[in-house]
Amino acid sequence: MPRRLTAELLSDSEETLRLVDALLEELRGHDPGDDRIARLLDELTDREPGLSVLPLMLLRAYDEITRTLDVLRRSRGAIERAAVERVQHTHAKLREVSSATELAATDMLDGLDRALGLLDQLDAAARDRGDPNADDERLRAELRDEVFRLIGCLQFQDITAQQLGHASSALLDVEQRLDAIAQLFDPGAMLADEAPGADRGSVFDPAASMSDAERRQALVDEIFTTCLPQQRTGTG
Amino acid sequence: MKFLVVDDSATMRRIVINSLQRIGYGDCVEASDGAEALDRFDASIDFVITDWNMPNVGGLDLVRALRARDDARDVPVLMVTTRSAREDILAAAEAGVNNYVVKPFTPQVLKEKIEQVLSAVSGAARG
Repeated sequence: MPRRLTAELLSDSEETLRLVDALLEELRGHDPGDDRIARLLDELTDREPGLSVLPLMLLRAYDEITRTLDVLRRSRGAIERAAVERVQHTHAKLREVSSATELAATDMLDGLDRALGLLDQLDAAARDRGDPNADDERLRAELRDEVFRLIGCLQFQDITAQQLGHASSALLDVEQRLDAIAQLFDPGAMLADEAPGADRGSVFDPAASMSDAERRQALVDEIFTTCLPQQRTGTG
Repeated sequence: MKFLVVDDSATMRRIVINSLQRIGYGDCVEASDGAEALDRFDASIDFVITDWNMPNVGGLDLVRALRARDDARDVPVLMVTTRSAREDILAAAEAGVNNYVVKPFTPQVLKEKIEQVLSAVSGAARG
């Protein structure tokens, strides 16, 4: 972008200089008896800064514009780095974390299922021995409750995955906005394509939370029991 | 009683199925989104438990689609979701869910809501 625009500006500047030169030549070649033109030329020549410095001024302006364009080019580069590299890197990290927690949750569920299987075996062994021990049974029951409680705790994975999905979506939105800003510097240029595998579907709840479940359930119950009693008496 | 458990999270499906087994409902089939649930639904399904936020066909659209089917119009549906804004709950009720459970839930809450729905449905059938 800057190169193309710079070349256009250089071309325009040169064209302007050529036009000024041509105009001056034309004026000089005019009827020498015309005092008005002679006076005009004298005035223009004597004026500070005079016509003689015009090419220099144009070159200076050209130089300023070139430097400004370079700053814009570097700004665009910085935005591009922020958008493409940092945002996408962070997005990828969030996906990695989400995937890792899902794998970990699956492993934990597998382990807890195996623990329940072992408890079943202990129950069966106690029955086979025909010697029930109340303390052992109580301990096994407590252990089973504890395992089920832990299984319920693994709901955190679904909820945090939605929270991470929301964060990823916000990052992609930032990337799009940075892309739009970068394109203001060069409408013809496009930043990198959308992050691979980016999920634009709203398959997450932005307000997903582990906290206050009882209070939120109470709101549900209030609505279903007081506001929508008909919903409890049948379907559809 | 046969349950259809619908959630895009494999972890959540296992947790819901595990909770159902714990409260005495061991017969479950599962689906990872609304589209798969609509494919898997048949006359053998007695109860649907569905998440809200899912790819392809979400929970709300699933409920609407079930209510539009002759073979699923009356099947009890329980929405189990993180969404708990008043307008979400009302939208789910409007779509035709029979009750609603907020995640994270306990097996006791799940049991209570299933029993409430079954009681209401059987009451309506008798009435």
